[in-house]
Amino acid sequence: MAKTIVIVDDSESIREVVKFTLENEGHKVLVGVDGKDALQFFDNRDIDLIITDLHMPNMNGIELIRDVRNRDSYKRTPILFLTTESQAEKKNEAKEAGATGWIVKPFVPAKLIEAINKVMR
Amino acid sequence: MEDFKKKFLAEAIEHINDLESALLALETNTDDKELVERVFRAMHSLKGGGAMFGFDNVSHFTHDLETLYDMVRKGKMELTENLFSVTLKSVDHLKLLLEVGENLPDDILTIHNDLLSKISKIVNNTTTEVKETAPVNIDKKENTWYVRFSPLPNIMDNGTNPLFLVDELQQLGSSFVLPNTMNIPELSELDPEKCYIDWELVIGGEVTENAILDVFIFVDDLSKVQVHKLSSGNLFNNPKFLSDLQTRAKEQKVLGDQFRLGFQKTELINNESVANKVKKVVNNSRSETQTSNNNTSSTIRVESHKLDSLMNLVSELVTVQARLSLFSQNNANNELGTITENVQKLTRELRDIAFSIVLIPIESTIVRFQRLVRDLANELHKEIIFETHGTETELDKTIIENITDPIMHIIRNSIDHGIESPEEREQNGKPRQGKISLNAYHSGPNVIIEIKDDGKGLNFEKIRQKAYENGIISADNHLTEKEILDLIFMSGFSTAEKVTDISGRGVGMDVVKKKIVQVRGEVYINTEFGKGTMVSIKLPLTLSIIDGLLVKFATHFMFFRYLQSKKYTPSNIKELQIHTTTHYQLTENKFHFSI
Repeated sequence: MAKTIVIVDDSESIREVVKFTLENEGHKVLVGVDGKDALQFFDNRDIDLIITDLHMPNMNGIELIRDVRNRDSYKRTPILFLTTESQAEKKNEAKEAGATGWIVKPFVPAKLIEAINKVMR
Repeated sequence: MEDFKKKFLAEAIEHINDLESALLALETNTDDKELVERVFRAMHSLKGGGAMFGFDNVSHFTHDLETLYDMVRKGKMELTENLFSVTLKSVDHLKLLLEVGENLPDDILTIHNDLLSKISKIVNNTTTEVKETAPVNIDKKENTWYVRFSPLPNIMDNGTNPLFLVDELQQLGSSFVLPNTMNIPELSELDPEKCYIDWELVIGGEVTENAILDVFIFVDDLSKVQVHKLSSGNLFNNPKFLSDLQTRAKEQKVLGDQFRLGFQKTELINNESVANKVKKVVNNSRSETQTSNNNTSSTIRVESHKLDSLMNLVSELVTVQARLSLFSQNNANNELGTITENVQKLTRELRDIAFSIVLIPIESTIVRFQRLVRDLANELHKEIIFETHGTETELDKTIIENITDPIMHIIRNSIDHGIESPEEREQNGKPRQGKISLNAYHSGPNVIIEIKDDGKGLNFEKIRQKAYENGIISADNHLTEKEILDLIFMSGFSTAEKVTDISGRGVGMDVVKKKIVQVRGEVYINTEFGKGTMVSIKLPLTLSIIDGLLVKFATHFMFFRYLQSKKYTPSNIKELQIHTTTHYQLTENKFHFSI
């Protein structure tokens, strides 16, 4: 079933790859260029999954996760963050902020879908 | 994928530029945490994107660089001069890597390895930290595992659905699942947002321990996950095993520890040890500096040739619209007049918007100048401050592309010939540090860019002498100061007493002028001996369309640019008709207009 997925990343190429992959899977994809930009999507609309980068200008991923978790409608929406292996300490910070899981960059589309399937069906 | 690759390339160049400008700023202000963060972020994006889009060299290279700046971020490394010079060289190298692709020619490979070894030297000098790697269990043999998963009641709070995890475990191989529902409270006390169930699973097949732990990778450390090996071999191969499990489950509701202990090899690994593996990297908490780099705004990337076509089309449209207006003027028809007016209004709006699209701020090129000043000043042992003002001023991108090299050359001249050595400056009562400033501003329909230095200024006598030696003027030529300055722009002229590496590198001032004139700009020099020199470049805002005045003189049409005309006087002379026209297009230096 088609889901609505928000992807937030300041890198256009990453956004595009994720968007392309997810749309190919039949999902609806909303795109934000940073945390602040993505906030526009959290106005009580139905969102099934949020994928966000951590390092972003204006509002970073951790702040975005905290903000979203504080909104009643999205208390249990799965949130995945994008990270690299070298960022282990960030993982804990993001998890404490309320993230569900993470996707390790770089990823191939199959890996992205695999990670998504862990948290959303 | 090719399309993404192109996007990444364009983006990578932006990241590298941002990286370079952040580094240069950081060099003068090493305490700025935000800048370090910006440097790190740019590297991080390059690394991630590089790996995703097949630029492995870029990715590996930036990975090493990133390690350096990660240490800087955590206060484990000082920002030394050596670090900056290696990093800036690396930035140049990254540009090359993007250009040449994956197969490095020998000379670049040498630089590549040289830089990598320099980077690792810096890293190794600073740290004795030994990177531990999690042991990878590449056990391809068949096994049977017992897994007990007892999630915390609040596991669903962060969006985790424990059922998905159980599903995923089942997909690993042959399996048997037994949910334990004994802890579910009375309905009246039940909180539907909590999880009261734990699970026991038996999984058999070519399943490694890591594969099982991977399923729980997102699970909170506090949720209990136990994995025990029941047998080296797949017990499910024996059909009796499954029916035994089913009977046992029916009778006892749980498999329990006794069941597990009935099998020989046991090894307890709870999820906490996984978490510890993950946590192995430093816990040094750092202040979360919120970066306010507003460089990212909601934009889309468009190939520049599309913009060029758009501009051409708009220019054509404007020309056609001018024809229409004129036709309507000469053929009085109310309806035609109204339509023409609307077309004119829309065309103007369209033109203005199209123009604003191709305008980009001068800022986009400033990094190159900053870098030039830094590198050249170091090379020539001069101390120079480079200041910029009004870099938000916007210009047609074609103009910016065309004047970047000329400005580079002017700045190069200022550094090489203008600014004196620190010792010489002190002798002359000047501050040790020389100053070069770049100032951009609007002036009427033009943009002015001034490059000013407080160096020794131009020596008129020397210029005259040189021009004479080079056969440009004769000995008895008496020239005004202005005429002398014009000599600089003549081809075959160079005042450099010795041909330095620097002067040999660039174009001459004659080429500078030619390039500026090509974009319909003008260039002037002001100088005061001993005090400094200022080069001003006057540029039109845009290239494609110019406003003008069309004049019919007898049978000839003449065209004047508005900028060239000082005053328009109404005339009652019958033969002289003045049309204040709208717009005429300039193509290949020829005016096209029609009546």
